[in-house]
Amino acid sequence: MKDPYPAAMDETNTDVIQGTLDLLILKTLSLGPLHGFGVSRRIEQISRGVFKVNPGSLLVAFQRLEREGHLDAEWRQTENGRRAKYYTLTRAGRRQLEVETEGWTRRAGAVARLLRAEA
Amino acid sequence: MSVWRHLRHGARVLVHRADADRELSDELEHYVEQAAMAHEKRGLSREAALKAARAEVGSHSAVREQVRSGGWEETLRSLGADVRYAMRMLGKARLFTAVAILIIALGSGAVTTIYSAMNALVLRPLPGTHDADRLVNIERRDRTMAEGMQSSTDYLEWMRPRVRTLSSIAAWSKVTFAMSTGGEGIGVYGNIVSGNYFSTLDVRPALGRFFLPEEDATPMGGPVLVVSHAFWQSKLGGDSSVVGRVVRVNGAPYTLIGVAPPEFHGAFTPLLVEAWVPLSMHSQLRPSRNREHAVWLWTFGRMQDGATVAGVKEELESLTAAYIAEGREPQPRNKYGTLRLTGMTGLPADAREMAVAFIGLLLGAAFLVLLIGSVNVASMLSARGIARQRELAVRAALGAGRGRLVRQLLTEIVTLFLLGAIGGILITTQATRAIERIAVPAEVPMALEVSPDIRVFVFALGLSLVTGLVFGLAPALRAVDGDLVSRLRDGSSGSGTRRSRIGKALIAGQLALSLVLLVAAGLFLRAMSNGTSVDKGFEPTGVQTTNFNTEAWGFDSTRGRAFYTSLLERVRALPGVTEAGLSDRLPLTFATSSDEIFLTAPSSPDERGPRIDLSLAGPGYLDAIGMRLVAGRGIGEGDIAGAPRVAVVNETMAKRHWPDGAVGRTFLLRGETVTIVGILRDAKYGSLTEEVPAFAYFPVAQQWQPNLFLAVRGPASVAEGIREAVAAFDPLLPRPTVISMVEANRIVLLPQRLAATVTAVLGGVGLLLATVGLYGMIAQSVGRRTRELGLRVALGAQRGDVLRLVVGEGMRLAGVGVVVGLVLAMVATRLLASMLFGVSPLDGLTFVGMTVVLTSVAMVASYLPARRVSRADPMLALRTD
Repeated sequence: MKDPYPAAMDETNTDVIQGTLDLLILKTLSLGPLHGFGVSRRIEQISRGVFKVNPGSLLVAFQRLEREGHLDAEWRQTENGRRAKYYTLTRAGRRQLEVETEGWTRRAGAVARLLRAEA
Repeated sequence: MSVWRHLRHGARVLVHRADADRELSDELEHYVEQAAMAHEKRGLSREAALKAARAEVGSHSAVREQVRSGGWEETLRSLGADVRYAMRMLGKARLFTAVAILIIALGSGAVTTIYSAMNALVLRPLPGTHDADRLVNIERRDRTMAEGMQSSTDYLEWMRPRVRTLSSIAAWSKVTFAMSTGGEGIGVYGNIVSGNYFSTLDVRPALGRFFLPEEDATPMGGPVLVVSHAFWQSKLGGDSSVVGRVVRVNGAPYTLIGVAPPEFHGAFTPLLVEAWVPLSMHSQLRPSRNREHAVWLWTFGRMQDGATVAGVKEELESLTAAYIAEGREPQPRNKYGTLRLTGMTGLPADAREMAVAFIGLLLGAAFLVLLIGSVNVASMLSARGIARQRELAVRAALGAGRGRLVRQLLTEIVTLFLLGAIGGILITTQATRAIERIAVPAEVPMALEVSPDIRVFVFALGLSLVTGLVFGLAPALRAVDGDLVSRLRDGSSGSGTRRSRIGKALIAGQLALSLVLLVAAGLFLRAMSNGTSVDKGFEPTGVQTTNFNTEAWGFDSTRGRAFYTSLLERVRALPGVTEAGLSDRLPLTFATSSDEIFLTAPSSPDERGPRIDLSLAGPGYLDAIGMRLVAGRGIGEGDIAGAPRVAVVNETMAKRHWPDGAVGRTFLLRGETVTIVGILRDAKYGSLTEEVPAFAYFPVAQQWQPNLFLAVRGPASVAEGIREAVAAFDPLLPRPTVISMVEANRIVLLPQRLAATVTAVLGGVGLLLATVGLYGMIAQSVGRRTRELGLRVALGAQRGDVLRLVVGEGMRLAGVGVVVGLVLAMVATRLLASMLFGVSPLDGLTFVGMTVVLTSVAMVASYLPARRVSRADPMLALRTD
């Protein structure tokens, strides 16, 4: 069986940029329901190990997003027969993802332009 | 919606904390499991993989804390835990806690008591009314607002159908009458009120009902009366069957229809109204008031929904202008075209301004005590902060953040202050009761009602919360200042010198503030003794007085005159009586009346003449109260109706208008020529602080007045004779209360008496607190310097030297306190100047005396710890560490 979560190759990982953790979680969950470790691993994987999420921050963010109505949580059986808490994006969460993506793109674009102008 | 979700989730966690924790544990366990599996896939052994995964996740409890702190419910829970912990810590240090709570209670009690008086007299709506914020008191003033006028029945009735911004206008006036339920008459202080008086105020009866519109619709149409709850209890035995019964009011049958609720006793709360009758009955109860023209009513209204005070004022002023334009009022009244609208809080607007200024001063003094006490508690907390370094360092080492520690300390301090506030509230309830027991010497039933209500309690708690945060923040921050954990190792306590310098400045500041309070108290005491010994221009000692109102008994003027003639005849014959006479008011009882005079006939109706204060006097009255003639004659038996009008004037009036001799000269009063027949020495008439006004006495017999005071020069034992003289005229008349003139005059010293009492109590408490602070500081310093002092003694210093050294430290602080205090007092006492009866606000005796008091107390406070150390064995002192 193929390892679903290959370890990051890059050793120099960075803390998630302040305020973007919500965006990363929402984006990750938009691809389908996942449990906590899954989300963490997928963020590391897709970012090629640049972002490493610590479980404490992740669970705090889950709690906040769930209370804001952006996520639903549910205990389910995993494929290897264990129980895990799966998080699913709600419709409100999907809207929130669009809003945050839009905001992020605008800010990142602005920063990129500034850096270019400075060079 | 999202808020609701937050609340629901939080509440679930709060209630099922164990479940939430287990769920979190499961989730973390699964996380570790997954991480370990990932490591295993990369080739690690099962054990190594698990170890690596555990290291990545970190301690479960740390994660749990992190997740918990993300929700609101945890803040609430930790606050609860902090309060419990605070209570435990306070409970451990019993003495500290008790002293701190006592100090805070004293300060907070002082402020809260005075605030309670302010609240009762000025801030809270009239007790017993509903929707009181829609009520406005209506007063007509002249353009400068300096003078005001009450309203006439005609004005009220003209306004009523025209006004749109008020849903109703009501009116009331004073009335006294004799009421009888069968036996002897009872003198009643009542109000005569418009039929809509109770409905406008929205007061609800405790028993029976209030007036119906038709009872005030036609003259003499409503022989009904409502009594106050207190009157019903004390005079009618609280018997509910009296409602509906017929009683006699000045002999006429009235039906008692209702009882007012206990908290309501009229529109001006200091006056305790005992009964209310409809305005329609005025021709029986106040026949001297001509229905159309007399101005005798106080008015108020209830605003329509949506109306503003400014809108009401505008409408009433334009209506008043129209009323004047119709020529319905005699000439001099048309100048009262400006309206002053104020809230109905139980005091007339003028009295309210005076009360605010007076109570404001006392509130300032009380705040000084709170400040002194809070400083004490703050330095106690600082000292305790040092003592608790170890505990704090351990908690910091175990992972508590600085913010968390400050929050814990602040919780402890605020808890302390809130407990103090509860003590303060207890003090307030007792102190206000004591204030309410102060008897007000006045001829009508009066009471100072200052009891606290919910508003006062909220104020006390809020005040303590703020004081706790203000005075607790600095000690709390300082306690966690610097590297706590390294202090755990060396046991040092951080910036010691800075702390003691701040401590010293605070002590000096406390001494300064208490000196200000002491000086204020001293000045008021001096003012009081000055007030009793000051030359009043007459001789109140040995004069007995009493007051009658023959109109209140239903007498017409003929019968009234007959009563007074017979009374004087009988009283003058009593043993011990040297002089007796009648007047319409007694001097120095705050009762004044003024009018304008003309030296020559005015050329136009708009011309204004000089104003004089005036009073009526019968033969013998001026001699009885000891007013001395300097020229001419007094008021004689011949100055009766029909005889030429005469007046006796004071020196000020004589010198002002007729510097070359006033006797025999004339002036015009209300269009009549009056001849001056005598000049009296200047005296105090209205109050002790007044500038001597131009003053004139006119004969009682030339101007009929049913409400007169009798003044008798003679021993207190004549009281019984006076009462018998009344009964001899008619045994059914109520027996009068006879008081001495000295007692009657006491009311003009009431503000000074209150101020002296309050500032003396506050000054004493302030001094005590400041002294305790000084004592504590010196004792602490002596404790720190034991080794140094022991060394000095060992090296040959005499006990006296050590004493001087330690006491000197205290006296230097006291010196700074005295200098600062004297400067502050010089500024502050200027505010009191108007209440001091000529005692200078910089009175040397008071300033020096209070400085001596403060210095001596400071000396004792620093001598006590000094003596202890100077007596100790130097070797023992050297060995202590």
